[in-house]
Amino acid sequence: MMCMIPFSKLERYEGNEALFELVMMSIVSSYVGEPLHVHAEGLRGTGKTTIMRAARGILPDITRIKGCVYNCDPNAPHCPHHKDLSKEELEQIGVEDIPMPFLEISHSAKVGTVAGSIDIGKLTDTSKPEAKLLPGLIPQAHRGILFVDEINRLADTSPEITDILLDVMGNKPGHIQIEEAGLPVVEVKVSVSVWAASNPDEDPGPLEEIRRQLSDRFDMVCYMGRPDSVDILAQMLRENSHSYKIRQSKLNQLSASDEAANNAIRENIVKWAGQYEKTDLPDFLRNYIARLYIKHNLESIRAIEAMQQGAVLHSIIRGRDKVLINDVTDMIPLVLKHRVDGDSLVRMINDTDSRTVKDGILNFKSRKNKGKKDSEDEVDYFPNSARPVKEMNRSELINTEKTLTPKDM
Amino acid sequence: MSNERINIDKAAAVGNYLGLYFGQNQGVRLGESTVVSRKAHARMPERRIKGQIKILLNRDAGKTYLDFVDTDQVVHIDTYHRPGEIDPRDVARAIFTALDKHFLEKDPQLQYAEDERFKMVIEYTNKIFVTTSLGKGTVYELFQGNLRPYLEGEEGKDHVHVLARLNRDEYALVYVLVEAIEEVVLLSEVELGKVKNIIHGKQKQQEESFAGYLKLPWKKLRGQHATALPEKENVNQLILKLAEKFGGVEEIQDFMESYSTNIFKRKGIDQQKKKWGDVEHYVEELKELGVLKETPMGTVLTKQGLKLTDFIINHKCELETEIRRNMRKAPAGGTSRFKKMGKVENRSSQVEFTNRNKTINNRDGTWSGDLAVPETIIQAKKNSILRGDPGLTIKRSDLHYYEKKSYIPIDVCLVIDASGSMAGDKRQAACYLAEHLLLTGKEKVAVVTFQERSSRVVVPFTRNQQVLRKGLATISPAGLTPMADGIVTAVNLIQESRVRNPLMVLITDGVPNTPLWTLDAKVDALEAAAQIPEANIRFICIGVESNHLYLEKLAERAEGILYTVDDLNRDNLINIVRAEKKSMLKNNRA
Ligand SMILES: [Zn+2]
Repeated sequence: MMCMIPFSKLERYEGNEALFELVMMSIVSSYVGEPLHVHAEGLRGTGKTTIMRAARGILPDITRIKGCVYNCDPNAPHCPHHKDLSKEELEQIGVEDIPMPFLEISHSAKVGTVAGSIDIGKLTDTSKPEAKLLPGLIPQAHRGILFVDEINRLADTSPEITDILLDVMGNKPGHIQIEEAGLPVVEVKVSVSVWAASNPDEDPGPLEEIRRQLSDRFDMVCYMGRPDSVDILAQMLRENSHSYKIRQSKLNQLSASDEAANNAIRENIVKWAGQYEKTDLPDFLRNYIARLYIKHNLESIRAIEAMQQGAVLHSIIRGRDKVLINDVTDMIPLVLKHRVDGDSLVRMINDTDSRTVKDGILNFKSRKNKGKKDSEDEVDYFPNSARPVKEMNRSELINTEKTLTPKDM
Repeated sequence: MSNERINIDKAAAVGNYLGLYFGQNQGVRLGESTVVSRKAHARMPERRIKGQIKILLNRDAGKTYLDFVDTDQVVHIDTYHRPGEIDPRDVARAIFTALDKHFLEKDPQLQYAEDERFKMVIEYTNKIFVTTSLGKGTVYELFQGNLRPYLEGEEGKDHVHVLARLNRDEYALVYVLVEAIEEVVLLSEVELGKVKNIIHGKQKQQEESFAGYLKLPWKKLRGQHATALPEKENVNQLILKLAEKFGGVEEIQDFMESYSTNIFKRKGIDQQKKKWGDVEHYVEELKELGVLKETPMGTVLTKQGLKLTDFIINHKCELETEIRRNMRKAPAGGTSRFKKMGKVENRSSQVEFTNRNKTINNRDGTWSGDLAVPETIIQAKKNSILRGDPGLTIKRSDLHYYEKKSYIPIDVCLVIDASGSMAGDKRQAACYLAEHLLLTGKEKVAVVTFQERSSRVVVPFTRNQQVLRKGLATISPAGLTPMADGIVTAVNLIQESRVRNPLMVLITDGVPNTPLWTLDAKVDALEAAAQIPEANIRFICIGVESNHLYLEKLAERAEGILYTVDDLNRDNLINIVRAEKKSMLKNNRA
């Protein structure tokens, strides 16, 4: 296995900080069965995939029906094998704890691998060959995370898989169809948080230009910045140096202290998940989000739902039990940057900001003046009243620019 | 003479005058309160003289307000009034009655043909559209009480705004309408507003003010954590705004340096304008934002301005990414208007490749194709089991093939007129088009310019954005229009390069005036154009409407298409080339 720096030890700086939080928020949310789809966009070297993959180390365990590839929840089995079984039958099978699934699809994946296809193991069984379906990566990622690196390339080259993702991310939970010619179609629900990464500057360009719909399915998009401090860069270089890697791999696994740090985060995640189920957005903040939606003419209901979900999660991972206005405003760029143009986003951000002062005095003054002058002009632009045509002679009726302009001008 | 007769005479006289002045592309003041033309009208607050109305010669009323494609279809009547509200339904009722009365006065026989008269009136009421600050609709709709809401910022705030689709021989009706409208205004206890003067001119494109909503947080620009995010968005957005105008990070730096205190780096306003078009608006906005300030030695960067420059240098990579992201965006909406003349049938060659990630069942029954062996065996095994065959059997229906994909690459060569008149915004728009094409497609782009007495290859066919940008930066419009030379250079370039389905896009705001072979520049350009189809190059020309007669001939000789626009702006250019590429693909498929 590739040597990986543990989650807690990854360098944090201004440009990548938000992603650490988003990743934890998404795990908490997935743990209680409400996916939160996150897309990290940035140049190479911003560590987006490193952070997302390192999150594997902090995933909590989930309990499933023993051996179920669909990760059936023992209290609510949904897969074709278990959904119709009685309580006794289920008890006989038993349960097991597994780490929350984290599966990855690459941009060159095939539909069968992603959704499901014929089970080759069973097909080639010499004693008793069978034609059976094997669920693909997505149904197997139920109750966990599905990671798609280079999602822009996937969307460009594989519209079929893009359509599957649209279904999976369309609702919470979503659903997926597994089709194999000659076999009955299987349709199961999937509750999967999709995490994606892409470099908008490389071919084929940003996801929103390739498949707008898919880009909109992401609740949050994190625009990654590059580190701009020498200290951080030096530290990152050190960690990526060959000798460091060798030393690390000699240690073979995570050191005890790294393991402990990951465990601490893991425990927190379980605790936060409990908290999340109990916390609701206060009414005034919900109204506030609704007003944003109306005032700025937002198109996507998904966006304001994500804002609500995100604000609550954001407050919880900061150890608060009350959601604050800041939790909401911090979500605005994450939720909206991929959905509205830059001007609208800035207007919205500044709108919420204006109550907390910071208004440039110069700016404010000049704007005020302008407004006043305009409205004065408005009112008496036509200071004189006119005679109606009815009272005029034929010869007075028509005037041109020439006849109206005084000769001396 | 009877009152009725007088009215008919007045109307007829007005009709004649309108025909005369509209023919000369002019508008008039009718009475004292009303401006009539076939153009859009605007107030002129910039002159600080009240009561003046500008007739915007470059904005046809039908196109502007009703999205008509053809010009001169609509008479625009604005009756101005002092503050107060007018119900458009009252206006509609008055117009209805006035028209009815007028037809009767003109032809008393009609009193016996009420149905006929009614039909005539109804026909007109569907052609007349009224807006006031209380609502809008056709006279017909309003007469029946159906009111569409007035939207803030629309025409009709301080006047009754009427658009009438009238032919030349119907202009007499304008007087009838105005008399009726004025009457309603007065009956609403609102005074008519006296229009002091009218002025003909072009509308300057309205520049948007960003200083009004951006907030720059100078102290927190760097090194702060999550709380700094909103401010960072503001700074980002400011830079994107500037990039939209100037082209890219380097150009922004270039522009900012024009205002440095280093006398050797400073650039005069004329030099800036030549490159970037109207920069004054941006200077004003940046002053308002505290980035630039006025000093005895001229306009210079403030401390904040220097910080902003630092920010740009330190975040160049991310900013360039965002700028490119914006450039890839399609222009918003279908606001572009262009006319297309000519038609070509072309067969394009396509590139085929095999998609190893997708297999398809052999549906068409041919045995050709790229057989997907693993998939075929798996399917055969599965189907053997389903069929109940003992062991593995392979049937024809089990065969799977790799999917074939094809696309038609279109390599574009832009031939840009770089004569003096293209300086500023038009140059910027053409450069933007080049970058947009490179960023949104998979094909190569080349740029040729012509100016002074010759032409040159500014950018050879490339997929490299650096190369493109470097080349574009050297375009500095000046001098005459040696179009023939430009075309020949482009034809040679295309023939020498390895290109696929070449499309030549000629962008010009003029007609040739520097010859290549003979003494007649126009004839030479036509001669040059004839080389284009010989070289199997597809051709389009994007020009301005006033030159369409000559350019049409040119396009015909090139066996290509002419697109004419009011304005060679960014959106128009992009939309045209996109439409053209689309039709090339469609033609091929058909
Ligand atoms: Zn199950």
